[in-house]
Amino acid sequence: MSLRLEGDVVLIEGHGRVEDAETLVGFAQGQNRVVLDLSACESLHGAVVQAILAFECVVVGQPTDAFLRDLLAPALARNVKVAL
Amino acid sequence: MNEDLLDHFLVEGRELTAQASQDLAALIRAPSDKALLDRAFRAVHTLKGSTGLFDLAPMGRVLHAAEDQLGAVRRDGLADVGLLSALIAVVDQVDAWLDDLERTGALPATAPGVSARLMAGLAGAQTLDGMLAPGEGDAVAIRYTPHANAYFSGDDPVAIIKAVPGLADLKVSPREPFGDLARYDPFTCNLVIEAISLESRAEVEAALRWVKDQVALSATVRPAPSLSEAAAAGEMDGGEIEGSIRTVRVEAARVDRLADLASELVIAKSGLSDLVDQIEQLPGGRAAAQALRAQQARMDRLVGDLHATVGKVRLTPLAPLFGRFPRLAREIARSLGKTMTFEIEGGEIEVDKAVVDGLFEPLLHALRNALDHGLEPVDLRRAAGKPDIGLVRLSARTVGDQVLIILRDDGAGIDPARIRTLAIKRGLIDAVAAEGLDERQAQELIFLPGFSTAAMVSDVSGRGVGMDAVRAAIARLGGRVEIDSTPGQGTSLRFLLPISMVLTKIMVVACGSERYGLVLDEVVETTRLSPDRIVPVRAGEAFQLREAVVPLVRLGRALGVGGDDQATGAQRVVVTRVGGELVGFAVDAIVEPMDAAVRPMGGLLAGARGMAGSTLLADGAVLMILDLQELVR
Repeated sequence: MSLRLEGDVVLIEGHGRVEDAETLVGFAQGQNRVVLDLSACESLHGAVVQAILAFECVVVGQPTDAFLRDLLAPALARNVKVAL
Repeated sequence: MNEDLLDHFLVEGRELTAQASQDLAALIRAPSDKALLDRAFRAVHTLKGSTGLFDLAPMGRVLHAAEDQLGAVRRDGLADVGLLSALIAVVDQVDAWLDDLERTGALPATAPGVSARLMAGLAGAQTLDGMLAPGEGDAVAIRYTPHANAYFSGDDPVAIIKAVPGLADLKVSPREPFGDLARYDPFTCNLVIEAISLESRAEVEAALRWVKDQVALSATVRPAPSLSEAAAAGEMDGGEIEGSIRTVRVEAARVDRLADLASELVIAKSGLSDLVDQIEQLPGGRAAAQALRAQQARMDRLVGDLHATVGKVRLTPLAPLFGRFPRLAREIARSLGKTMTFEIEGGEIEVDKAVVDGLFEPLLHALRNALDHGLEPVDLRRAAGKPDIGLVRLSARTVGDQVLIILRDDGAGIDPARIRTLAIKRGLIDAVAAEGLDERQAQELIFLPGFSTAAMVSDVSGRGVGMDAVRAAIARLGGRVEIDSTPGQGTSLRFLLPISMVLTKIMVVACGSERYGLVLDEVVETTRLSPDRIVPVRAGEAFQLREAVVPLVRLGRALGVGGDDQATGAQRVVVTRVGGELVGFAVDAIVEPMDAAVRPMGGLLAGARGMAGSTLLADGAVLMILDLQELVR
């Protein structure tokens, strides 16, 4: 289990696997907007990425994995339209 | 590379980029100015020619594409703002590359990818295939659409794309809209992954060989990037330019994220007050609470500062927005058979990007109205002793921490008597109430939903939206719109908007189980009313507040959430000033005041009635901020 709810932030630790998508969806359906901390995340399965898109989760944290940090996280951030 | 020649190229190149950039920006404002177009074309043409002397293939390619586009514009006499913006992005990037050349003697490693991206922006709907020189293969666009059962068959599309070498850009989006999220199926793959790789096509094909039936290479249609995106995309390597250059361009998404984090910090911080209060109640907790409070005050200030500073990063000039209107104004005027001069002032004023982005539609609608209903036909203008050619003026200036945008026409103005009659006829107001309105209030009636009806609909402004839509759009941006019209002389619409996202003081109230925020500026006072002080007045209710009789709106009922219904005992009432009038809102409880970063309503909620925006509470819940003006109508 790599998903953990801490306060109102969802932490993904290690590898976000396909089964974690269901857990994330559970969190997301229960609250208004999930804030997802990727600091300790090493990879994200497509199903988790898709859930992040679908529920417009706000992605925070600087993962160490370069692909995650430089490409995927910015791509996810671009998708969430947070009007200020 | 020949040093002397390069030095010369750098000097000349900077002059040419400056020239081209200036002319292209001016073209946005005056698309018919052929001299500007010719000069921009010559500058780009000369730049392109010079790149041939050096090993600058990516720069040469994108300039070649820019020259082609400018050539087409000269030939067809058609230029749209999107293309001009993309051209400006190209010129800006070339200018940045000149800096790289001066510093390192070569283009950065990212240049081919950046070049391909800019070319995609120029071509708009063309394919990347057509633009990349065949055989060079220095940038490959990938579009990967995994099968819906990909997860079941053990594929991880993200891992697959991650394995592609030389990735320079990534975009993930749903293949189909997600639809009803309550029935979201996490195990059906619904993704499209687009990426750009700087490796050769063969390498990319090899990495994707197992899913090649789901992959399209270099045939992706990329939408033309917006000016900021194109500029941002081109500037990611611009960070370490030395001392002399004091600006760094940053991808818009990163700034948005920073701003979002700053907002979240404000919310997290507001949770502290409660904790300090609790600590104070503990035995011996007083001293600790005091120390905490002092520290908290310091943090308040710092967070406030941070928030304001991030807000400033998002400021962008109004000029590109304003620059879209002269052409539109001419087109609309032409379709109405009217002639007018369109003037712009204050484009240099900088306003939050969200505000600039949200202003186009309401301003366009207001402009249509001004040209259609404001400006009179020539014969009427002559009879009124006015010049044949009408004058419409769009101007902006700052007023404290707000920007005042005025759209003014020198047309017929709004006749309050006519507006009164129309409003009564359409059942928006009764005759007695109409008589009670002064001239200004009568003119404001045009902002009522349902005011614009078929009687005044024409080809131009009749699109089923009235001035109420303009008012609502401006309210969503945290602003308001006023009308100032002198019959016979013209009309000014005054849009007052926040310059940057600001912390708004909010009063949180409860209705049943729901909580809502009221903007504290609108709240006059709070009071308790015993039930016998509430008297029915026609269809509604009212109460006496000192000398005045104030209408009472039961908030829960107005919002359709129940609660607060004729409760026994004292009724909590928030007295507000809405559009100059006192209105009482009956609520179940007044919870607390707070500082919040109010966001305009977006997405599906953009049209939600009576809502001005939203903010996040310390517990992560969304608090809706009410648009009282809309609620009392």
